[in-house]
Amino acid sequence: MYYKVSGVTGKLTGATAASAYNPQGLKPTVPSQAPPMIFAVPTKVVSETGSVSHYMGINKVPELQKIFQKTDGAPVHLKRGVMDKMLYRTTMGLTIGGTLYCLIALYIAAQPRKPQ
Amino acid sequence: MAHQAHAYHMVDPSPWPLTGAIAALLMTSGLAIWFHFHSTTLMTLGLILLLLTMYQWWRDIIREGTFQGHHTPPVQKGLRYGMILFITSEVFFFLGFFWAFYHSSLAPTPELGGCWPPTGITPLDPFEVPLLNTAVLLASGVTVTWAHHSIMEGERKQAIQSLALTILLGLYFTALQAMEYYEAPFTIADGVYGSTFFVATGFHGLHVIIGSSFLAVCLLRQIQYHFTSEHHFGFEAAAWYWHFVDVVWLFLYVSIYWWGS
Repeated sequence: MYYKVSGVTGKLTGATAASAYNPQGLKPTVPSQAPPMIFAVPTKVVSETGSVSHYMGINKVPELQKIFQKTDGAPVHLKRGVMDKMLYRTTMGLTIGGTLYCLIALYIAAQPRKPQ
Repeated sequence: MAHQAHAYHMVDPSPWPLTGAIAALLMTSGLAIWFHFHSTTLMTLGLILLLLTMYQWWRDIIREGTFQGHHTPPVQKGLRYGMILFITSEVFFFLGFFWAFYHSSLAPTPELGGCWPPTGITPLDPFEVPLLNTAVLLASGVTVTWAHHSIMEGERKQAIQSLALTILLGLYFTALQAMEYYEAPFTIADGVYGSTFFVATGFHGLHVIIGSSFLAVCLLRQIQYHFTSEHHFGFEAAAWYWHFVDVVWLFLYVSIYWWGS
């Protein structure tokens, strides 16, 4: 039977022979000869690095997430600044103008026609 | 960054419900003004406002979900319920038109010649273009499922290709139906046969166009890396809607095109 002090309870508990003989774990064998020294690596093109996909464009979502999570107090429909504001104002303009036009058109439509 | 002690989404104040409601007002009053005074200005204004509202409202939902992270699991569950309820309401909408068709076709009146199709109507051959349309929509159901699995497995290129194929099949269906409408030997004014045929298939065609547009937006989002393999509810909603459109066509084909010929 082998023993160790439990890292969780701080009490004496059972252990395996392997952990008793190698309490800090087995380290991978250190090579007897130093690895060959490399003084310069050939330049790697960005597209060859990693498994990031570039099919039909690159991923811009993280960048957009930063923009939309800025704590500037702007509501989501105005978060991108000028373009959003212009589109909002155009829409609201049409809304208010349209409502007035509609009320006037309905008022005129409700007038009795003159008999021939 | 979040200052809330719950996982639900308290939306920012938004002007789009108001602009949408006004768009509905302008479109309906505009319709009345068009009928009585021959001016389409008000109706057109309403349509433009509707398009602006839809664009900005749905753009904001994408911003809130994909860029701000508000679509937590309970929020997504709510969105799922919402889409299911909406599709259910559309099922009832079509049920009405099927009711109208069966009401008139099961007991054809003497005015129609006591038969269905009514006397003088030459119905379309169900085994020509309508059968091709059935094959096209069924195939699009397969490609949209392929797209879903590609997204879930992280296969970007395949997801884009299968989604694009689905949309192309949808457009092919629309083109074929438009050609059928042009070539048909009867019109909407040809009694109850014409009315039931063109209103039911016409609304279905409109839903194909809506479904294709929804899928096209999903294609653009997929290209822009919005969907992850675990979280892509926008696509799932579009796929559900597309399957609904397919099922409605199958009922239309069997009832109106085949049984009704």
